Amino acid sequence: MNRGLFVASAAAMLAGCDSWKNSLNENDGVKRVLHVATRLNHAVIGTHGMAKLYSEADIDRDYPTNGDPTPADPVYQGLVNDGFRSYRLPVTGLVDHPQTFDLRQLRALATLSQITRHDCVEGWSVVGKWRGVPLAHFLALVRPQPEARYVVFYSFDHDDGGQQFYGSIDLHQAAHPQTQLALDLNGKPIDPDHGGPVRLRLPTQLAYKSTKWVQRIELVSNFRKIFGGHGGYWEDQGYEWYAGI
Amino acid sequence: MDAAAPIVTPRASDAPETSGPVVYRHSVTTRLTHWAGALAFVLLVMSGFAIFDAAPYLDASDYSNPAHRVLAIDSKAGPNGAQIGVTRVFGHEFTTTHLLGYTDDGQGGETARAFPGWITWPAYQDLAGARAWHFFFGWVMVLVGTIYLAVGLLRRDLSLLIVRPSDFPKMWPMQAYYLRLRKEPPPHGKYNPLQKAGYTVVLFVLCPFIVLTGLALSPGVDAAIAPLTSLLGGRQFARTWHFLATLALVGFLFGHVFLVASTGFFNNMRSMTLGTYRLGKNEGTGK
Repeated sequence: MNRGLFVASAAAMLAGCDSWKNSLNENDGVKRVLHVATRLNHAVIGTHGMAKLYSEADIDRDYPTNGDPTPADPVYQGLVNDGFRSYRLPVTGLVDHPQTFDLRQLRALATLSQITRHDCVEGWSVVGKWRGVPLAHFLALVRPQPEARYVVFYSFDHDDGGQQFYGSIDLHQAAHPQTQLALDLNGKPIDPDHGGPVRLRLPTQLAYKSTKWVQRIELVSNFRKIFGGHGGYWEDQGYEWYAGI
Repeated sequence: MDAAAPIVTPRASDAPETSGPVVYRHSVTTRLTHWAGALAFVLLVMSGFAIFDAAPYLDASDYSNPAHRVLAIDSKAGPNGAQIGVTRVFGHEFTTTHLLGYTDDGQGGETARAFPGWITWPAYQDLAGARAWHFFFGWVMVLVGTIYLAVGLLRRDLSLLIVRPSDFPKMWPMQAYYLRLRKEPPPHGKYNPLQKAGYTVVLFVLCPFIVLTGLALSPGVDAAIAPLTSLLGGRQFARTWHFLATLALVGFLFGHVFLVASTGFFNNMRSMTLGTYRLGKNEGTGK
């Protein structure tokens, strides 16, 4: 048989499996079995050690924006228009001292500046200098209650279907010294396309965990009743809650 | 059962590669781990191609850097305005429409996409789904490999497939036999010198390397075992190594399947399913 014809017919035969492969991928029982691996990944890899620190020379001044550009949300647009002067960040839920912070207060707490690599789940990486509030220090101010296990970050952004973006991390990840509420990127306040005025930065996990445009923070004991129940917008789309890998 | 004891006496009429006595060649553990590993390997490669499709380029650098791009699979407008697929290897561009770059979308059509749907798992583009399959079968592969190696060490038969200096002079005669330049293979044990070289490299070099390069892609592992990612040249470089190791293992798979088919297909398949195998000329069961 002619080689081109052989390759073409082999490809056609394999393409015949496409719908079968796709339906296995969508089967809920199969998904449950496959997700055993993400629990193993979390147990084995977890959050240990420190993300690599880079030098000023490594910084990419043309930091890519991924996903949505500036949120169209009218409240957010209003904040952009007044230069975020009326931005307030409420922290609620299982805390002894619920508080609301404005940018001036947050800036006063911004003691952590780090040049770290942003690893996208798609496979690419970019280095940026992030300055902001160490999350551990920030959470100590609101005093999490003993039942609190997760920190949930709600975003100003919504997808095309109107679903709000959100994400969550556990208190162990929140206590990591490099986990920060970032305010500045590469020496300037984070612009609206990169998640400003406040976004999460988590250099020890993939960047889809670093919620942009943080609107409010809530401490909870579990996230089963929040939106899709998987602990984040991307997690509700099938991505792993633990994104250290 | 004694591995060396002949079960059936030789027949004079048999072809040279299947003229000896029938022996018990592969244990139940070897056969089960072989097929579980084969399934896991195919799914890992296919889901890996699907993951690659989310960022279809490889850099020889720590963070992404187009100046160090080794491979890029892309689509662009062709001379007559229609989309074409292009593959750039070290800056040399090849048109690969319908195969790479602009190809099968996994749903019956064509789209701008690096690897075609017929080779990815799942067929359509679903990064979250592909990652779930990849991590699950990554664990399966590690488990299967560990069982195989542990049982091989306990039974002391793992050493039968490890290449040693005394195998080197026999490699060319073995290759010459494969190329039909020699009538008979050189005398050898359970595995011939080229099999030993191949399995040693696959089991003890490529398999650990592909696991380590995969782990080095993870920010969690990079933080926990800091030297690993750096030793490989950084995160993007680790991705390039991971891809190259995949190509090497896929190359091994093609060679393996070709040799299984060309050196007595039914005898070989019997040894990896039922366990029994008819020895060929100059073929033994020991080292």
